[in-house]
Amino acid sequence: FLSHSLQAKMSRQVQARRLEGIDKNIWVEFVKLATTYSKVNLGQGFPDFPAPEFLTEAFRRALGGGSHMLHQYTRAFGHPPLVKVLAQFFEKLLGRDLDPMTNVMVTVGAYQALFCCFQALVDEGDEVIIIEPFFDCYEPMVKMAGGTPVFVPLRPNPPKDGKRMSSADWQLDPAELASKFSERTKAIVLNSPNNPLGKVFSRGELGLIAELCVKHDVLCISDEVYEWLVYDGRQHIRIASLQGMWDRTVTIGSAGKTFSVTGWKVGWVVGPDRLLQHLRTVHQNSVYHCATIAQEAVAQGFQRELMLYGKPESYFVQLPKELQQKRDWLVQSLDGVGMKPIIPEGTYFLVADISPFKSDVPDVPNSDEPYDYRFAKWMVKNKGLAAIPLSAFYSEAHKNNYTNFIRFCFAKEEATLKAANDILQKWKQEKAS
Amino acid sequence: TMPFRHKNTRRIEGLDSNVWVEFTKVAADPSIVNLGQGLPDISPPSYVKEELAKVAAVDRLNQYTRSFGHSSLVKALSQVYEKVCGRKIDPLTDILVTVGAYGSLFSTIQALIEEGDEVIIIEPFYECYEPMVKMAGAKPVFIPLRCKNDGNSASSADWVLDPAELANKFNSKTKAIILNTPHNPIGKVFTREELQVIADLCIKHDTLCISDEVYEWLVYKGNKHIKIATLPGMWERTVTIGSAGKTYSVTGWKLGWSIGPEYLIKHLQVVHQNTLYTCPTPLQEALAQAFWIDYKRMDDPDCYFYSLSRELESKRDRMAQLLKEAGLKPVVPDGGYFMIVDVSTLNVDLSDVDEKQPYDYKFVKWMIASKKLSAIPLSAFCGPETKKQFEKYIRFCFIKKDSTIDAAEVILKNWNKQ
Repeated sequence: FLSHSLQAKMSRQVQARRLEGIDKNIWVEFVKLATTYSKVNLGQGFPDFPAPEFLTEAFRRALGGGSHMLHQYTRAFGHPPLVKVLAQFFEKLLGRDLDPMTNVMVTVGAYQALFCCFQALVDEGDEVIIIEPFFDCYEPMVKMAGGTPVFVPLRPNPPKDGKRMSSADWQLDPAELASKFSERTKAIVLNSPNNPLGKVFSRGELGLIAELCVKHDVLCISDEVYEWLVYDGRQHIRIASLQGMWDRTVTIGSAGKTFSVTGWKVGWVVGPDRLLQHLRTVHQNSVYHCATIAQEAVAQGFQRELMLYGKPESYFVQLPKELQQKRDWLVQSLDGVGMKPIIPEGTYFLVADISPFKSDVPDVPNSDEPYDYRFAKWMVKNKGLAAIPLSAFYSEAHKNNYTNFIRFCFAKEEATLKAANDILQKWKQEKAS
Repeated sequence: TMPFRHKNTRRIEGLDSNVWVEFTKVAADPSIVNLGQGLPDISPPSYVKEELAKVAAVDRLNQYTRSFGHSSLVKALSQVYEKVCGRKIDPLTDILVTVGAYGSLFSTIQALIEEGDEVIIIEPFYECYEPMVKMAGAKPVFIPLRCKNDGNSASSADWVLDPAELANKFNSKTKAIILNTPHNPIGKVFTREELQVIADLCIKHDTLCISDEVYEWLVYKGNKHIKIATLPGMWERTVTIGSAGKTYSVTGWKLGWSIGPEYLIKHLQVVHQNTLYTCPTPLQEALAQAFWIDYKRMDDPDCYFYSLSRELESKRDRMAQLLKEAGLKPVVPDGGYFMIVDVSTLNVDLSDVDEKQPYDYKFVKWMIASKKLSAIPLSAFCGPETKKQFEKYIRFCFIKKDSTIDAAEVILKNWNKQ
């Protein structure tokens, strides 16, 4: 006779098979480490400076305004004022008419937009090309949808004549890329500007990808959350605007990155109705509505930017200007201690080669953790500086390809970057003595 | 150009339609008194709005928070529910915060249900249960609530499951049963005895229970909300779902939660980290603060959990009265903020209406057009076999301010004058 409580425990595997191999998540571990040990957190990608005043004002106005109906459900596929202004905005950028009701959908952050894309478009047996290094969620999301990720690396081509390496020097090999397309290829995931490297794909590089998509009738899931964060006068080009691409591309954006409010979790997709209709089906059967008030505030933020587009007061002009400066400070700090930064053309991330500091963290042969994981963990515990190992952004099979790099986030206050510099300087001095 | 080969994935085949597409256009027309969608038009309590205003001023609350739930919120939830359940609840392992209870249902079903599984759904049901179960590749198995008194129902308590019929639905493939108490749309509050019947079957067949309790605080005099997870042998196999939207009249905040044993919740957390990763921070912080305020007065009748219920009970009674006076037969709910109404008594002849839709769909459309009053047809909440049984009912939502109910009163009082 079994007691109720013994009998009660599930006697077969309780979880669904779709969760196989996707339970590990680097952020859960590294965010915990940062919270526990870090004095300076350049790890997880979020700004530690305030969100722009005009946006938090818009939020407060929405709250203080007459209608308490902003506390109730809005339109499931996107709050009308927000989808309308997004359509207006992206019409200009893509050079085509957009219907706010069918060509735009609001999501819970760009993360949920990605989820909707994979669930709507990737079936069991489909292959999805992912360019390494990649924002880590692409791989588990493809797997959860029953798809097979196919990886193709950006390869570093060190610049000649002793110039500093830039994210532009990491490139796809055209023949290698072409070889990844098969009859089973359903989609390619593009992330430009690229997290973690900061690469901003050039028109030529995008043209190559576009040609292959058209030739093989493959979809493009274009993660452009860092679209406004491009430096040195570079231009962000939207692959959906290239020949033959609008009909096969879903473009993803993020208020979190656009307006420095990662905690608001407002994202969107822009694309043709015949693709978005399927994303709408996934959305209505998974979250259905997104929170109303933040959408109202973001809509107002975009209204302002629409009016100020291209002008110096535009947040989309000011933010990259400020971040470029912060990038340059961090580059200087890292240079100053012998870490070798790869200068990012975009995003607020920077990857650096930490080989000169390897002696502090001895290699452990046959360790199941890549070297840079161990280095990053040691660094946060012993130096209080949090960063993310580059191999976190590689597939399991390729985790040991690049183990001397770590990723820093520089969307931080001057004081934070100075404190990071102090830690690095002190560390260098300790090594010298 | 090549023909476009890119269609939807198999998992969403047939899941694109939605009852609201037909009826929410109505909400935009201000001349129509909208008692259809479950949308409060009353104000949330002022302290809830104030907490959100306070939060807007704090910089770090505009950035990412903990993936499985903002710390202060999961702590507050664990305290409130420890008190209700009489057991220890670990805020970090036993709770997941989601985008509305809708998100909790999705996370639970994606985590624990798959192809080859059967899931028992009680009809009528909140409309997302069926498509979510199908999207997970599983088979929904329906069982209807049946009216005890030969169709003469005055109260939601008249609607019951037949225990033998229920037992027959369980087999070795049954992975879970979805329970919704208080029930949408009927407003039934399952009694301890009724829950025990379900619990016994879950234990006997080693089945999970997904318990949607979003209306948990909205129970009217003479009724008590009982959590099936508190019955012996059930904590280990139950995921209990709650909603900020229903608790605090803030449906637009879209925050919900799943509570259960770590070994089940951990799988929901895996789904969450692979679907949206975090929920919005400012709303979670404001909700946490609101919960602390009410937690401190949980033994006090002024606690919002109880005061809202009292406020809604009088709206319920008023609506029921108005409907009866108009010649309709309301089924007075013991809980929730919906009321179903038997409209067959009016004998409105819609046989000339061409569309092959169930009677209640046609009735609602007719009522919107000719009476400027909207509701939702009950057959929207049924599986294919039972549409006939429920097509004489429509659902009204009564979490509406006085002026809305006043407007409904005018329509109902004039109903018979043509």
